[in-house]
Amino acid sequence: MKLLLLFTFLLFVSFSIIAQNEEDITGRKAPNFKLVNLDGKYVELDKEVGNGPVLLSFWATWCKPCLEEMVEYNKIYEQYKDKGFSLLAISTDTEKSVAKVKPYIKSKGYTFPVLFDTNSEVARKYYAQQMPYTILIDKSGNIVYSHLGYMKGDEQKVEKLITELLEK
Amino acid sequence: MKISIYRLILLFILFTSTKIFSQADNRWFLLPDGLGLQNQLEYSYNVENKIEILENWLTIDYNKNIFSAGLRFEVFQPNDPDPSISRGKVKYADIAYKYFAVDIGDVEEGININVGNFYKLFGRGLILKSYEDRNIRVDNNLLGVKVEANYLGFTLSALSGSAANSINERQDILHAADLQYRGFDFIKLGTTFASNQPAVDGVARTSLASLRIQPSVWNFDGYAEYGIKSNKNIQSQIFNDDEWKIGESFYGSLNFYYDAFSIVGEYKYYDNYAFTSSDGTIYYNTPPSLRKEYTYVLLNRHPSPLDQSNEEGYALEVNYNFSDETSVIANYGITQTLPTSSYYQRVNNSSNLISTQLEEIFLQATHNWNESFTTIAALGYNEELSTNTKNITPILENKFYFDNINTIKLVLEHQQTENLSTDEKYYDDVINIEYLRSPNFSVAIVAELQTKEPVAGNVVRKFWSFIQFGYKLGNHTDLSLLVGTRQAGNICIGGICRYEPAFQGVEIKMLTRL
Repeated sequence: MKLLLLFTFLLFVSFSIIAQNEEDITGRKAPNFKLVNLDGKYVELDKEVGNGPVLLSFWATWCKPCLEEMVEYNKIYEQYKDKGFSLLAISTDTEKSVAKVKPYIKSKGYTFPVLFDTNSEVARKYYAQQMPYTILIDKSGNIVYSHLGYMKGDEQKVEKLITELLEK
Repeated sequence: MKISIYRLILLFILFTSTKIFSQADNRWFLLPDGLGLQNQLEYSYNVENKIEILENWLTIDYNKNIFSAGLRFEVFQPNDPDPSISRGKVKYADIAYKYFAVDIGDVEEGININVGNFYKLFGRGLILKSYEDRNIRVDNNLLGVKVEANYLGFTLSALSGSAANSINERQDILHAADLQYRGFDFIKLGTTFASNQPAVDGVARTSLASLRIQPSVWNFDGYAEYGIKSNKNIQSQIFNDDEWKIGESFYGSLNFYYDAFSIVGEYKYYDNYAFTSSDGTIYYNTPPSLRKEYTYVLLNRHPSPLDQSNEEGYALEVNYNFSDETSVIANYGITQTLPTSSYYQRVNNSSNLISTQLEEIFLQATHNWNESFTTIAALGYNEELSTNTKNITPILENKFYFDNINTIKLVLEHQQTENLSTDEKYYDDVINIEYLRSPNFSVAIVAELQTKEPVAGNVVRKFWSFIQFGYKLGNHTDLSLLVGTRQAGNICIGGICRYEPAFQGVEIKMLTRL
């Protein structure tokens, strides 16, 4: 038990210390994935990366903060999509609610690509343990930002990072 | 051996942490190329019964070109009291998940091979859903080999593996394959076959097979899957070989959307279709439950568990956006047990009448009054058989946005419950006040009052309350601290539930990913 506590304590301390720098930028290479979109066609991340920043937004129809966040991400998408920015909204709706994804997206009039990750295989690769979860990838394919949850105002930082990446 | 694993992991964490930290001076740190880490820690101390629980999941992944590998180190001390969750692991610390994978080619032509532990879903889970959901502590991963190949619009998935049973032993072997064709724009086709090979000689295999179609025409999308189940022992012993199958299932959904309107209709028929290991402790399949997923506390208070063997029902959900500011959702669902002629009742030699397991109605309206103020009003009604209760739940949620980063949220929930077995009526009230400051901080105060009158004139009230802080450390760590008391209840996701006993104490959660 002592060893276990020591182990946990060290994990806590080491992870917390390294995570305190507000401007930290992670350099983890974004794992590639292949998912089906609303039209049943495969989309591969590696083919989306290279033109500009790519925002991965993990969401679900039952998650209210996700739906709030999506309204804001849609505004960002509409503003920057012609400048090289891509948004991939990855639905983690399971078999229980996946039937509601396409009707929801269509009724809201969203035009960004929506992908199905019905068994959370991609969510696991990106450590999307809870929803909503945001990942920003630069044009070199590196993860430069990740964010769990959504509060009004979180989209400001995302937009700021996107404009910085578009200027690079 | 386990001590050695502890030390190895400890040294690894120390090594990587030091390496990372040393790079933080230039405000830029990089993990070794291709490496990813995630740690989830949950600790609680219940002051009432002096029980301390520590749970920790550490995941390490490494990707390099076409190769990837990883592991998950889990620590539970003590483990969950529910044997279906703890699987005999009272105090547990081990590598519970490890894999090596190679991914060659692309979406048009490619192959992915995974050796070790893996998860897989075929179709909508009628036959196979191997998955992990940490919120309800479900993990039925398979240990073996999985191969997926894409070619000319076809996708073939084949796997062979073993899942851990209730005493954490992997005995039976599951063989399964799925073939789907996506070559047409208007329709997708698929078929699945799976068979459980028992570890004990003389016990017959249980096999399931299904066909599915997924048409898409104009603003309509559909999905239909029909499956059958067979087992030679049951066919001969129960049906004297008069039947060629011992169970069947059907799931279908039809969606229509037009402008701001959308409707989803779903139908299910699950007759003796639970796909389990020979000892009955591993569930391989989790078909759509057709139960509404709620985010409010009281709407999840009387859940209806999914029964893959004895359900028929349908659900309808309508969405309409009157404008950008106003939208409504209406949902209705009903689930009933099967008649005496069903395979389920014949196999179990029972003659129960059809009963309604769950009937639920949910209405929700959302209106943004202006940029600073949003209201959600909802009303839920359900009649649920396992707790034999009837529940009416009105909800009011208001959000005030003071500026671009500060929000106050107020949620009021009230639930009138009638126990249909005892005729007892009681009600619960929950108030949730939350302050959120983007991007780092939130605090919530949640209080619940339950009022019962077991004997006329004798009112009994129970009160629970807690305060919960949330804080983000940089971009990588989310911390949560809860102090107070919490009512016992179930955490349910799509009909799969985990019971959480009443709690009084402190709970800390930390989620870190690098």
